[in-house]
Amino acid sequence: MSGGAATSAEVSVIRRSVEFRGGSVTVVEAGQGPRIGYLHGMVGLPTHGLPPLVAELARDHTVVAPALPGFSGSTYCDDLRVQSDWVVALSEIADLAGLTGLPLVASSVGAMLAMELVAVRPEAFPAMVLLAPLGLWDADEPVADAFATTLSEQRLILSPNRASTAAIFEDDPTLSDPSERIEDGVSRYLTRTSTASLVWPIPEHGLDLRAHLVRCPVTLVWGEDDQLIPPSYDERFATVLPSVIGRHRIAGVGHLPDWDAPAEVAAIVRAALG
Amino acid sequence: MKFVWFHLMPYPDLPKDFPDRYRSVWVDIDPSLYDPAVGHRVYNEYIDQLEYAAGLGFDGVGINEHHSNAYGLMPSPNIIAATLARSTGDAAIVVLGDSVALYNPPIRIAEEMAMLDGISGGRLVAGFPVGSPMDTVFAYGTNPATLRERYHEGMELIRKAWTSDEVFAFNGRYNKLRYVNVWPRPVQKPHPPIWIPGGGSVDTWDYCADNDLVYCYLSYFGYKAGLATMRGFWDKMAERGKPQNPFQGAFAQFVAVADSEKEAFELYREPAEYFFNSCLHVYAGFADPPGYKTPNTVRAGVEGMVERAAREATARSEAKAADKAEARASDKPTMPKSSSASQMMSFETMVEKGYVVLGSPDQVISKLREVGTSMNVGHLLTLAHFGNMDNELVRYNTEMLARKVLPEVQPLFENEWEDHWWPRPLPGAQRAEPGR
Repeated sequence: MSGGAATSAEVSVIRRSVEFRGGSVTVVEAGQGPRIGYLHGMVGLPTHGLPPLVAELARDHTVVAPALPGFSGSTYCDDLRVQSDWVVALSEIADLAGLTGLPLVASSVGAMLAMELVAVRPEAFPAMVLLAPLGLWDADEPVADAFATTLSEQRLILSPNRASTAAIFEDDPTLSDPSERIEDGVSRYLTRTSTASLVWPIPEHGLDLRAHLVRCPVTLVWGEDDQLIPPSYDERFATVLPSVIGRHRIAGVGHLPDWDAPAEVAAIVRAALG
Repeated sequence: MKFVWFHLMPYPDLPKDFPDRYRSVWVDIDPSLYDPAVGHRVYNEYIDQLEYAAGLGFDGVGINEHHSNAYGLMPSPNIIAATLARSTGDAAIVVLGDSVALYNPPIRIAEEMAMLDGISGGRLVAGFPVGSPMDTVFAYGTNPATLRERYHEGMELIRKAWTSDEVFAFNGRYNKLRYVNVWPRPVQKPHPPIWIPGGGSVDTWDYCADNDLVYCYLSYFGYKAGLATMRGFWDKMAERGKPQNPFQGAFAQFVAVADSEKEAFELYREPAEYFFNSCLHVYAGFADPPGYKTPNTVRAGVEGMVERAAREATARSEAKAADKAEARASDKPTMPKSSSASQMMSFETMVEKGYVVLGSPDQVISKLREVGTSMNVGHLLTLAHFGNMDNELVRYNTEMLARKVLPEVQPLFENEWEDHWWPRPLPGAQRAEPGR
């Protein structure tokens, strides 16, 4: 394990590297206070600084946020072929990162994996706030294909706010060395690859058959302008999950409420997870 | 040099304003555009054309696999190959190929190709592409992150299935088979020659170089644009100290022959413009799904062939949109433009860039020699049919090539190098005569 401390927007940040299956995963720990977990969605974690929601929560929590394999500098892992491989990997990483047993905020693909893990390992997370989770499919209102588009359109599907998706679509402006820029480009490509791998070709892997096992309290949050998975899916999740204790929609926000509405989401999280 | 008469089998009746009204010729092309009666006619015409070419002395006839695609009506090349195995006498049957990762389990390919090799008496070339992202990742829903691993595992299974003397178990990541026993066995030993069609991935160069397979660049864009890609392969061969045998390379080239260059321009303009402007109208969003490229290819900054096609189609669409916007802004009526207008690629540009080798027989002979020597390829896949070319013109082009061009170019490389990647059929005395 290695790492370093930094400060972001007045909160302490520790970024460490944890060995995982011959490579490593990045784990960010930010702030002080009761411990809470954050599992990223499609855009991973930024190379510099914190996701806005993590920065917001870190004002009164210690937020533990791992980057899944392939995302955001964590080593790409060829062994993750099907969703069950990812769920087992998350289980291992949750233990390595100190995420296990913490209340969890999870977004998009991360929320999908978190539900799958809790279904088979209930002690993993005692309560969850899920931001636009994937995992169900309605043929009459299908989840959009985020990758059958040009890069500029992919960004718009995720968020109208370009800054929210810069981490996986733009060169790192702090890099000047050409070879470093190339490797940064490869890293961003692998982040998109990992995201695509989780949702290809349809982000539904039988969760509806296991959702009744997700017995922890769940709060659902959706951006009203989500272009990837329609907000109406909150009703579908509320139908299959046995313990939905709250449903929230945030106006003017797309698929990344953790990036585009951090204060509103943090307020929901504080109320839901105490 | 070996000449393979290669057919893409395009759908010939797309509407003239197809690029304006539809976003892509591939993946999500409007199903209502397909007329089964047209399909019936052209399937039979196209098979006839392949047979015609085989009868005129082409060394081989070639076909490939595409899905949800109006420029390639062959989701199953093996079906076409089966008819050719019966109806062509000595020509090689070059199937480029079967997209290994799309078959479950891939021993189906080993079996069908063994059947084709058997029916044809050992005339099969077995091509195994990874496949385009449109075919594999979108039309067939394969996860791009696992596509190449699936492909390589399938390749290992097929080759072992063809060569093993015993029934064996195969425990792969994607294929769990307790009993592998391909029956029938291929005629050719140890197996039919294997060609790997590529579209620009640097890892395919390595794979062919390491395994002594033919690197086959199926380019739309001609020999001038293809030079860098073929050089990439030969550089990999040189790095390994392996011989630069031109017969380990293959390249696809559009060719248009007439009595004079002027006549060729007149004859072939419409089908060429149909192909390059409508058949290659590929939506850019399908060209580069994340995970399809290997990190090495991303690192090398190599643009794949379908990526280029999509980029050029997008540029044409954007130019057209800009023209319309300009007309609106200036409050002028929008003038109808011909297919050769600025936003469409002109035939002259296609010829100038080398997409189409065109001219009199002497001009084409000279250019095809240049193609062979500059790229160091001993197998040329000639596309004498393209776009919506009518049957009569296809036959004219094919006959001009066969009678006036091939005899002059075929001797290239033949005395200097041995072609280890060409079929070795059964001796004539052992060959069946279909129909008797």
